[in-house]
Amino acid sequence: MSPLYLGSRPASWLRLFAMALLAVASVASAQSYSSSDTTEISSAALPDAPSAIQAQQQQQQQQQQQQQQQQPATQKPNEPSLSDLGLSPTQTAPNPALQARLDRHTHMLKIHQTLGLITLIPMAAAVISSGGATAHHNTTGGDTTGRDVHAALGGLTVAMYGATAYFAIAAPKIPEGHVKGGIKVHKYLVWVHAPGMVLTPILGVMAYNQLNNGEKVHGIASAHAAVAWTTVAAYGASIIAVSWPIKL
Amino acid sequence: MKIIRLAALFLLSPVAFAQSPQTWVLTQSTLSYHMVHPVHTVDGTSHGARGKGVCGAGVCDFLVAAPVKSFDSGDTNRDEHMLQVTRGAEFPIVTVRFRLPESAINSPTLDCDLEVQFAGNTAHYTHVAFQQTIQGKTHHITGTVPSTLTDFKIPPPSFLTVPIKNEIPVKVDTTWQPQ
Repeated sequence: MSPLYLGSRPASWLRLFAMALLAVASVASAQSYSSSDTTEISSAALPDAPSAIQAQQQQQQQQQQQQQQQQPATQKPNEPSLSDLGLSPTQTAPNPALQARLDRHTHMLKIHQTLGLITLIPMAAAVISSGGATAHHNTTGGDTTGRDVHAALGGLTVAMYGATAYFAIAAPKIPEGHVKGGIKVHKYLVWVHAPGMVLTPILGVMAYNQLNNGEKVHGIASAHAAVAWTTVAAYGASIIAVSWPIKL
Repeated sequence: MKIIRLAALFLLSPVAFAQSPQTWVLTQSTLSYHMVHPVHTVDGTSHGARGKGVCGAGVCDFLVAAPVKSFDSGDTNRDEHMLQVTRGAEFPIVTVRFRLPESAINSPTLDCDLEVQFAGNTAHYTHVAFQQTIQGKTHHITGTVPSTLTDFKIPPPSFLTVPIKNEIPVKVDTTWQPQ
């Protein structure tokens, strides 16, 4: 055996051992790379197949996020809420139907108020013109202009009163419980001026006909002026009742 | 077993006490708005407010709420009109929120920044001064919120075509007690 031969045998064993080590190392490194790649792909790149449970969970999460967004931004976790105060949901819940009724109620009562104030004009004119409609101002066949004007103004007053009353009666009713304040007197006085506003023109027509026939006003027709004055007084008091107390 | 439970209760009770925040409750209240018209002055009062305060981390958060329809001016017609013009059926509750440092709870004057929600709108009033008197555990707090109609975008109601004044100050008279 030459020393070279002898010397070369161990060298070949070493080479083989080194190659085996390298092969094992390369296989191990290749396995580690492949395993990390597969875990990365499985966890990130490839999503799981959607299931019904996952979809429900996602919906619940979205709903929770929406509810959180609906809460006021200023609301802190420790801040008391309306439910902490013992207010029931019926007390805090909005009632758009009632708001619509309130809007219509107010709108119609505003018209009622405006028409009621405008009605004062023909009413005052009828009162003033009544002085020219009495018996001693004319006889049969004479000038009845004063009486006609008074009758026309009275008729206009009654018509406008009717329109005013309509808007009060037709306005939607609001559950208000015990009525308090000037509106109570205002409603009581209706029982005076409403019958008066019906009686006054009837008695006025009777008196008109009696005068035009050359008769003295007699019978129930003679109450025309008294009924008219009572009606005017009750009507005026009715307006003052809802305006009181007036502080100038 | 009983001994273990008792020991657990004994050990945990201080922790529970330390973590429970101090709360305040509104026991009495009078809220009163003042409305001015050239020929009228009207005060509408509510005794129906409820309130609570929760203290924690050095600050106390308070909430006071009153139903809008609980304000009574002595005239049903006017109150209905108020309810309509303030959209009280759509927004039935007026709420006031404010925060105080826990250290200022016993001060004779409370400087409050108020957040008021009313008629579907929110207004902020800064440095509103309230006076406080303390008798035992009862804290009596009074003051005035300088509110206006425009703060809440409320169209001013009118009488004889003349609108009411924009300023509607609300007097506050409340009594609080720790719970």
